[in-house]
Amino acid sequence: MLNLSRKTNLGSYGVVLAVVLCIHSLGFAQSVCLPLPRLLTLTPMGGTAGAAVDVVLSGENQDDVSELLFDHAGIKAVPKLDDKGTPIPNTFQITIAADVPVGLYEARTWSRLGISSARIFSVSNLPEVTRTQANTARENAMSLTVPTICNAVLTNKAIDHYSFQATAGKRYNIYCAARGIDSKMEPVVTICDSQGRDLVVERKGAPLDFVAKQDGLHYIKLHDLTYKGGSEYFYRLTLQELAADAPQPTFFATQPIRSFSWPPAGLPDSAVTTEDEGAEFQALSLPIDVAGRFYPAADVDTFEFTAQQGETWWVEVASDRFGLNTDPALLIQMAKGEGEQKQWVDVLELADIASPVKPSSNGYAYDGPPFDGGSTDILGKFEVKETGTYRLSVNDLFGGTRKDPQNKYRLVIRKAQPDFAVAAWGLHAELRNGDRNALSKPAALRVGNTVAFEVVAVRRDGFDGEIELQMTGVPKGVTATGLKIPAGKMRSVVLLTAAENAPAGWANVEFTAKSKVGETEVVRPVHIGQMAWPIVDSWSEIPNPRLVRGFPVSVTTSESAPLTLSAREARVWEVKQGKKLQLPLLLKTRAEFSGSVVSLKTWGSGFESHPAFNINLTEQFPETTIDTNALKVPAGDYSIAFYGVAVPKYRYHPDSIAPAQEEVKQAEIAVNNVAEELKKQQEALASVAAENKAALEQQIAELNSKKQAADMALQNANNKLKSVTDRAAPRDTAEIIISEPITIRVLP
Amino acid sequence: MDRSNPSRPSRYSVLAVLLCYSIWPLHASGGETLDNKPAANANTPRVVSFANDVVPILTKAGCNAGTCHAKAGNGQNGFALSLLGFEPKEDYTHIALEGRGRRVFAASPDHSLLLMKATNRVPHRGGTKIAPDSESYRLIADWISQGLKYDGESAPKLVSLEVQPQRGVLPRNSQQQLKTIATYSDQQTRDVTEFALYESNDTSMATVDAHGLVKTLDIPGKVSIMVRFQGQVVVFDAAVPQGSPVDQLPPSKNFIDDAVFANLKELGIPPSAICDDSTFIRRVSLDIAGRLPTQEEVALFMQDTSPTRREQVVERLLLTSEYADFFANKWTAMLKNRRDDASDIISNFAFYSWVRDNLLSNKPYDEMVRELLAATGTVIANPPVAWYKRVKDPKQQLEDVAQLFLGVRMQCAQCHHHPFERWSQDDYYSMAAFFSQVGRKPTATRGEDMIFHKRGLAGYANAKTGIVQRPTPLGSPTVAISPDEDPRLRLADWMSSPDNPFFARSLVNRYWKHFFKRGLIEPEDDIRDSNPPSNPQLLAALEKHFIESDFNLKELVRVITTSQTYQLSALPNEYNANDMQNYSHYYPRRLQAEVLLDSVDDLLGLRTEFPNLPSGTRAIALPDNSYNNASPFLRVFGRPENESVCECERIQSSSLAQSLHLMNSGDVKGKLGNGANRVNQWLQSGKAPNEIIVEIYRIAFAREPNEQELSTALAYVNEPKLDAEGKAIDPPRILRENFQDLIWALINSKEFLFNH
Repeated sequence: MLNLSRKTNLGSYGVVLAVVLCIHSLGFAQSVCLPLPRLLTLTPMGGTAGAAVDVVLSGENQDDVSELLFDHAGIKAVPKLDDKGTPIPNTFQITIAADVPVGLYEARTWSRLGISSARIFSVSNLPEVTRTQANTARENAMSLTVPTICNAVLTNKAIDHYSFQATAGKRYNIYCAARGIDSKMEPVVTICDSQGRDLVVERKGAPLDFVAKQDGLHYIKLHDLTYKGGSEYFYRLTLQELAADAPQPTFFATQPIRSFSWPPAGLPDSAVTTEDEGAEFQALSLPIDVAGRFYPAADVDTFEFTAQQGETWWVEVASDRFGLNTDPALLIQMAKGEGEQKQWVDVLELADIASPVKPSSNGYAYDGPPFDGGSTDILGKFEVKETGTYRLSVNDLFGGTRKDPQNKYRLVIRKAQPDFAVAAWGLHAELRNGDRNALSKPAALRVGNTVAFEVVAVRRDGFDGEIELQMTGVPKGVTATGLKIPAGKMRSVVLLTAAENAPAGWANVEFTAKSKVGETEVVRPVHIGQMAWPIVDSWSEIPNPRLVRGFPVSVTTSESAPLTLSAREARVWEVKQGKKLQLPLLLKTRAEFSGSVVSLKTWGSGFESHPAFNINLTEQFPETTIDTNALKVPAGDYSIAFYGVAVPKYRYHPDSIAPAQEEVKQAEIAVNNVAEELKKQQEALASVAAENKAALEQQIAELNSKKQAADMALQNANNKLKSVTDRAAPRDTAEIIISEPITIRVLP
Repeated sequence: MDRSNPSRPSRYSVLAVLLCYSIWPLHASGGETLDNKPAANANTPRVVSFANDVVPILTKAGCNAGTCHAKAGNGQNGFALSLLGFEPKEDYTHIALEGRGRRVFAASPDHSLLLMKATNRVPHRGGTKIAPDSESYRLIADWISQGLKYDGESAPKLVSLEVQPQRGVLPRNSQQQLKTIATYSDQQTRDVTEFALYESNDTSMATVDAHGLVKTLDIPGKVSIMVRFQGQVVVFDAAVPQGSPVDQLPPSKNFIDDAVFANLKELGIPPSAICDDSTFIRRVSLDIAGRLPTQEEVALFMQDTSPTRREQVVERLLLTSEYADFFANKWTAMLKNRRDDASDIISNFAFYSWVRDNLLSNKPYDEMVRELLAATGTVIANPPVAWYKRVKDPKQQLEDVAQLFLGVRMQCAQCHHHPFERWSQDDYYSMAAFFSQVGRKPTATRGEDMIFHKRGLAGYANAKTGIVQRPTPLGSPTVAISPDEDPRLRLADWMSSPDNPFFARSLVNRYWKHFFKRGLIEPEDDIRDSNPPSNPQLLAALEKHFIESDFNLKELVRVITTSQTYQLSALPNEYNANDMQNYSHYYPRRLQAEVLLDSVDDLLGLRTEFPNLPSGTRAIALPDNSYNNASPFLRVFGRPENESVCECERIQSSSLAQSLHLMNSGDVKGKLGNGANRVNQWLQSGKAPNEIIVEIYRIAFAREPNEQELSTALAYVNEPKLDAEGKAIDPPRILRENFQDLIWALINSKEFLFNH
């Protein structure tokens, strides 16, 4: 089944590609990556500080959700109970403490497979409602009072309608939160007059400031740019009145991945200087920290300063990393000549911060992570070759015709302050386009499982040192390995391993990066990236990665890893430099597999060119020989791991079948009991006395109702049994397998 | 080929296909021969110039037409000439030197292959192009006998061309001989009447022959004759008056009426009467909002007794969403908002919406074009970037911008001097230079780039000369643009300048055509000196008004539709039926595909469902071409596929397929038989047939049926019917089926199919 003899030169992703494509070409229906728990929707998506709200959640691979967790202690959730005191599935009562600040918080669930991916929950200081009835026509527009936040979900191929009473001359602020709270919706907001005529339209996700020209009913129409809808297309519509001179309210949104490299540590919140918008140029002295904006259209801001020969300055501009759609460009020119002969000669041009790893092109195959750590912002070095007067111009390459006063930037010119920023995300393998759903990965481990996280660094101001990665507070039975980004490198892989006997549980892991800058030890947070949504393929939908807060890691004992590969002994394997190490391995399999051979490659600095080798899944004690002479690894301690793809015949939650069968059995008994009673009463009807007939008929009617309910319950139980049985059928599932980390000491 | 004995007849038979067999369109119909009369001093030949004599003769004969020996590739049958003789040196090489000079025979010019082919003495697939006794023949023969001299560099250059007379008033069915005078750089003038090319801009009004003889026909109006010689173009303008009495003119409402009525007076064409109210509200609703007026709108209008009631209708229509939808539909088709891939949907919807929202908010036209031309960023953040997704090559960008926003067709000038215009290849590449600094960065979206201004000195190399051309607006000096400046912004500055000779003119002409069927310049995107407007005063006034209104599109629509000219009846009077260009009456035109589909739906109270769009979406609000695939109706009635910047991609002509579609197609039948349609609903609710008929007429024609129409329709819907077995059909079914027939008949009527 698996053609593991194929070799590719596609780098670390290549071998997996070959395997997966090979599987694909054989035409097997196959899933990719074992199921992971994902929280996808919360309804409503937020609440008012100080209030309580019932929330219904939905997700993927979440069975028996027992906890809904928030990253703020002031937001608490308990399961909602029905009249009998039984928890209503996927429904929680949430209380929001009055002192919870307005903003975005992240919710996760704890369920059978562990901790889920995050979903935004908003806290506001306005009254909130949830739309409960269809409002897809003007005739059934939902009436809103001012102010209100309405939580709702778009209907597919439809337009949601709201109405409100406006007063002429008053200013109304209408904002539809969508993308910024994890929705797939590209919101289009239209304000209409009482006759339904469109007055103003906002399509870029910005707040709409509307001053009513007439008293009376106005309508708000809401739809997705391409009229999509469904549970993933949720939104929060804010309608509030503002004073004419009130500033635009702040609306919070999730942060794009690229924002992880901003701000530099120690930078004050406010810039030292503000751009003088009226000046042809602004004279400043180095160092510079100035806040400006790309406004009006085609704005070019120029700053003049003097610099001395031999100085080195670092120049950084942030704007794109604020989440704005801008592309700063920077030009430094030097004054040459005097008077009329004076000319400004180009010295340096800077544009774009390169991504630490080449991001995915979103083609058919996976050619890199869909997390772009780069930015259209600027970070570069200015070496002063000549003492003199310089002019620095900064402009927005996207700003030729755009007139948005919100397009702000911050320009910093400083002496070198070597530093770094680090981000990490679940590592993905080479997949087909249609397997993009597997890109969304919470750190939910099965026992015996090793998972990988890709860690990247943006190095600032010439910093070139080794970056040590630290994870503290991992759950019991979990170890983290591979914790460094080598000197001069931008990328590393970190492994999290759950021991075979690890207990179920989760913990918020503190993930940090540490290094020495000169003599100073510097610790920086590792920012975590996550897909907002699993997607089917990148041709019909673009992956939407964002930064998440916190790094919860969980272990589930309800499932085990299909296999565990480790060194045969848990020890440091020593080898003399230039010699070969015969490395004995131990393979434990816990599932059936499609195919018997897996090709493995190697992670670990210095060892990545160790040739791919095959292991047989039926062989408990495979081996590989590492030639330190060929690899030319210097003496030292190393952590390595082997990785590849295997195809277990995965069964989803087979334990759910027995309870479902029992439910069917009980439902059948209930049906039979009612049927028997009904039959008895119907027979009695023939001989019942006339004065009792009406009462008996009443009883029969009630029994008929009970019978209908019992039949329905039986049908539901059968449906459920079918569903869990189908789900539990063995299914070929390509899974990235990673060995436990192995420590090798190369002796001099 | 037998090269050993070039004099053998077999040689000629092989070479017989060398010369052209099809000629420049001007001559294509006639296949005329240059049979110009011998010159007076034929016995004393002057020194013949290759550049100034021979090449123009070849041009006149059509030898160097694009369809003949100047065909791209290798000419025709191995003999290549430069297009229209723009490269005399190349032509000399091909004629005199190529093939060891086998095409010319200096010792006996008459035996030159060039002349034997041209006179068809040796079989020539292009037939006889030059008469053996003509001056053209003699000049070529003399040039050959004089030693085949090349004088491309030394010959005097053509400085100017003049046609005499330049304008005139010609009665219908009369003649006028034109005389064409060329002035050269050596101050010499020459009568080149016989060597110039002539073309009428409206052959239904006037024809012109190869000798410059103009013959007017029966149709009155303005007609122009384009005269071309050696790359220069001049025009003879003729007014062909009808001379009928113009005693009564409607009172002028604005400058449009002043200009139109003055022209009609000059031509002696009396205008038709002002149309009635029903016609007006239906016409203006279809033209502004792309839909029939609603019953409520009609009722409101009819009840209104205000003297400005028509103006108020226009105002109300300009406030509708349908106005924005309808004109966005028009613009996005020309801006190539095309779905080639399913993933295009987001950018297409975003771009369409951007255009639509701008029209809704009445953003000044110059600003809108500026935002499109100089778009940067991503599609979602800045939707006009989508245009750069569709139009990627700077040359295509310049061509589209020139044709769409300036009304100038630059395509020809990419390879050679424009044959009817003053645009050279340098002009072409100088315009392309404005787009040379468009930078692209990949995005996460497949097939989409971020567009940015790439710092650097803008320039585009002339493909022929290799010389880098700097950004230069058409007919203007080169613009100095610093490397930091986006040249596209400077192009936009030039376009929206009040002095720009193309920008506003092109737009007002385009919009004029939208409302009047025929542009003041036709085609509407081919503005050039050699294609003058039918009413220059009107075009200039519209242009001025548009610029003074700050490029206000709604104001343009307003001023046009509130004019008396727009409100003239489509019914001609006894004098103006022939008039097809002076707007003496309204020219009826078939409803365009989307409008017609919506109108059928409106009549029946239904809406066609379109994929991905909410129920109730009108066909005029479809964001791109992809909906044509699922709608035979839209395809048959010519909805464009958004592949061309030319409005001509939309098919507005009528066809048999259209008639059959309306009469027999499943979708029309389905709508008629749909139980949810309003007529069936009325019948089910027990509404009286005569009331239903009145309602139908109100919706379809914005009027009530007259007595005869009502009685005929009523008689028909109550007519008994038998089924296939000859049994009487029950009355409710009869009524239902007969009403379907009635509506079917109305849909197929010209009154419904046309805006009139």
